[in-house]
Amino acid sequence: MSAANNICGQAYSLTVLTPIVDGHEIELADYLNRLQTGDQSPLARVRGTHFARWVVIDDVIFEGPEQGERDHLQHPRLLFTSNFDGDLEPYLEALRTDLADSADSIWSHCIGYPGTGDPDAFVRYFRHHQIDSSLFFAAYGDRTVEEVKRGLAARAKLIAFALRAQGMQAADLKSAFLREFGG
Amino acid sequence: MANVEGKATAITVLTPVRREGPLVLWAVFWAGRHIKETLQKLEQLSFIHYARWAVIDRFPDEGEGEKLSHEYLLFESNFNGTWDQYIDAFSEVVPFRMKAIWGTSYGFPGPLPVEPFKDYIRRNEYVANHYWSAYPGYTTTEIISAGHVEAALREFQAHAAELEPEDFKRAYESMLTAIQHDL
Repeated sequence: MSAANNICGQAYSLTVLTPIVDGHEIELADYLNRLQTGDQSPLARVRGTHFARWVVIDDVIFEGPEQGERDHLQHPRLLFTSNFDGDLEPYLEALRTDLADSADSIWSHCIGYPGTGDPDAFVRYFRHHQIDSSLFFAAYGDRTVEEVKRGLAARAKLIAFALRAQGMQAADLKSAFLREFGG
Repeated sequence: MANVEGKATAITVLTPVRREGPLVLWAVFWAGRHIKETLQKLEQLSFIHYARWAVIDRFPDEGEGEKLSHEYLLFESNFNGTWDQYIDAFSEVVPFRMKAIWGTSYGFPGPLPVEPFKDYIRRNEYVANHYWSAYPGYTTTEIISAGHVEAALREFQAHAAELEPEDFKRAYESMLTAIQHDL
């Protein structure tokens, strides 16, 4: 698979699977489960992130005898996925600097994680454990997080204005609009 | 555990792929990337923000990666609405595509009837330990609509100040009419 498949518009789909140190999976899952969510999520600090998740994968699923041999992962894996704006390298650097201690608290449960102190090793670690997408769909892949938020704010502002402006005379409408939106 | 963040829901599915599966998937995903219709159909499922498929032939580790006796197919989606609505829509709107993709995985019962398909997804699904959305209060449709509104507003603003009040009012109303479905 090609790295180009990770991209749709300007959006990038990052998939990282890192082996968890044996016996650490419960502690890691517990730590992730307890992270604050919403604006307090550590991911809120990483600019350009639309959606992201951490998932502890204890083992692979067995679909029954039809499958033949049953697989087991030698080590559980931590899956990290993100849908973000722009190129991979600056984003990995943003993960390192913006997640900072949170990144260390999470990935230090993973085998071989070098820590955020060494920028090159950090990037190498993520690239080494990256899985390329085969197909990536983005409904609005041409829009950055900032653009999405700006659009939503403009829509909300116009709706509020339109309600307020109902029944206004032409001259009042024009001056109220220009006051509110410029022109 | 957190598969839900505001209006957004995360789904993470990892399924064992049949022996002949990787080649079929290569062709299916190639078609997905090169035949416009495939992704357009996903756009019709207007509640998906971002989705990806990735074929895992080796689970990354410190060396060459851990090779299991099967390859695995990772699917992740970020959508608005409930899990049930999502699977219902997938099986009704794109059943052939679902079959082409997950038909390569062991245990896939087919997209219809929907109950066995839901059981299959439940069996192979992993719950996110932490999930982040940059705009949890908004649906995919609202974000796309907001983009239309912002563009229409910008176009109107560009010449609004020059219009006489009566012309301004007519242009303003005509703008609102043009974007009424996006408000």
